[in-house]
Amino acid sequence: MTALLRTEGLTKHFPVRRGTLRRQAGTVQAVTDVSFQLEANETLAIVGESGCGKSTLGRALLRLHEPSGGKVWLKDMDITALNRQGLREARKHMQIIFQDPFGSLNPRMTVRETLSEPLLLHGLATSATVRAEADRLIDLCGLARWHAERYPHEFSGGQRQRVGIARALATRPMLIVCDEPVSALDVSVQAQIVNLLQDLQRELGMAYVFISHDLAVVRHIARKVAVMYLGRIVEEATTEALFTAPRHPYTRMLIDSAPRPDPAALRHKASAKGGTPSALAMPSGCAFHPRCVLADDRCRAIRPELRQVGQSRVACHFAEAAISDNVVPIKADSPALMRRLAVLEQARAGQK
Amino acid sequence: MTATGTEGGDQAILPEAPAPARRRAWWRALLRDRAAAPAMLLLAAIVLAAILAPWIAPHDPSANSRAVMQPPAWTERGTWEYLLGTDSQGRDILSRVLYGTRLTLLIGLVAVGIGGIVGSALGLLSAMYRRIDPWIMRLNDMMLSFPAILLGLALVAVAGTGVLPVIVALGIASIPDCARIARSIGIGVMGQEYIEAGRAVGLSDLAIFRRYLLRNSISSIMIFLSLRFGQIILIGAALSFLGLGAQAPASELGMMAAQGRDTLLFAPHIATIPSVVIFVIVLCANITGDALRDVLDPRLQT
Repeated sequence: MTALLRTEGLTKHFPVRRGTLRRQAGTVQAVTDVSFQLEANETLAIVGESGCGKSTLGRALLRLHEPSGGKVWLKDMDITALNRQGLREARKHMQIIFQDPFGSLNPRMTVRETLSEPLLLHGLATSATVRAEADRLIDLCGLARWHAERYPHEFSGGQRQRVGIARALATRPMLIVCDEPVSALDVSVQAQIVNLLQDLQRELGMAYVFISHDLAVVRHIARKVAVMYLGRIVEEATTEALFTAPRHPYTRMLIDSAPRPDPAALRHKASAKGGTPSALAMPSGCAFHPRCVLADDRCRAIRPELRQVGQSRVACHFAEAAISDNVVPIKADSPALMRRLAVLEQARAGQK
Repeated sequence: MTATGTEGGDQAILPEAPAPARRRAWWRALLRDRAAAPAMLLLAAIVLAAILAPWIAPHDPSANSRAVMQPPAWTERGTWEYLLGTDSQGRDILSRVLYGTRLTLLIGLVAVGIGGIVGSALGLLSAMYRRIDPWIMRLNDMMLSFPAILLGLALVAVAGTGVLPVIVALGIASIPDCARIARSIGIGVMGQEYIEAGRAVGLSDLAIFRRYLLRNSISSIMIFLSLRFGQIILIGAALSFLGLGAQAPASELGMMAAQGRDTLLFAPHIATIPSVVIFVIVLCANITGDALRDVLDPRLQT
């Protein structure tokens, strides 16, 4: 069986133009050579610092940003080869939920208009049935029927995000890219939305590409996680493997740097230093080497390829030796992470 | 299928919660606005009076009489025969104002309409298709550097004097301003995430343009046009003053003001009355435009 979503060498570079003549002054390598597979009913989380290319990857998957290279297949359909018309029709099968529930809804359209639009466009409802169909979506996403005639500004952030989810579900897509769907919401609402997404997946069976920087949420919702650093996947593993035995030093840093409730609590020996280098001027060799505690001459010269190490795929010269003596073993479950997880679980239990 | 994930909190999303009353109709909100309601009523009265001019004007607006430069009725030498007095040729100012308002409003509305429609279309298109943007905008800059009065003179030289060339000239002269404004508003709207959301749904460019770009830009453009309406009336008056617009027996507010200028010292009312009417129309249009924006923009409602 072919995977629901498959990418091969997906790349998106943005030219940077300067001056009156708009000469190309450089290239932002937002996403480079990303390949992965995703099955139906599964969730792949993509994590990384801000600016690492997560959102660009999500948009390149849907061709909201035109990829500069590589291929994307949705089932047997080559998304990257579609023409304009074909792409518009294919949008039925792949949808996106945006981070900002305030900006992603047209302020001049009522919820009913927003939901009816994709239904009518893709022929999933006629003018006779569109009302009932929109109502069904509203019920599905936990909104009340009377919300339908309201404008987005009349809702709270969580409610708006539900509208955004309902819109994404309208076309019964196989794939939904969730671009940080909960990061703009406060914690209790986050839990509701995450649970809603999980319930919907169980009910409707679509696959999620869940972009997030919030490890607690990722751990809760995803089965597989891909860690991105400066446009490349540096580690891809099942959630369990990733959180218990991270193999890439960057992954370790991410887990280690999750916020903790007591800043005075002893920090582990810093596992990385400095900030993200610019995607305009990539470091030589392994892009992570300027911040990596393990880096040696090989890292500065040769970029490690993403390769199979045990159950995971890792791009680090030291992946095989990762759990050896020269690495400070880190406790994957920082207290903050555990607390956030508890909140999510609690919300889940409260629902039952 | 049942509602899922509702029980977490937020009681507003519970299905049992009764729907709160719908907000007031927009025109009701408009009437409650303390500045806008009188302005709108006054504007409506002026428009109505202008439309009904042939029936309510007490005199023929172009008929001369012996009573030259009569002051208005409420002054010492005024008579009730000529409520607002007469001009230097003994014509009834009230009647001329009624007819003049007609022409002035027509010039303003049609010119703003032409400029608004063509200008917004150009501006919004260049906001949407950034490839054609430099071309449209350079063309625009060329038009912008051409003064309205000069354009009016050129058109009149070709087409002869009259109201129509003036309207066309004013309309064309409004295009570049309006295109600039529409473009900058449109670029702001195009940068919003909901445009991308619309694309993700698979909408055609036409649908994006109509339901997303136009709907979100139109109210800001309308405010600009309502301000522009005042300017147009003033430029139209200037053209009439130069003898290009409305011709002699017809009356036009700007022309009347210009004619009254000669006798400003002996009979100030001749220039003042039409000027006050222009002022009132422009002011009311601006206030109404502003209030309409407040009422029609769903984001500004509480």
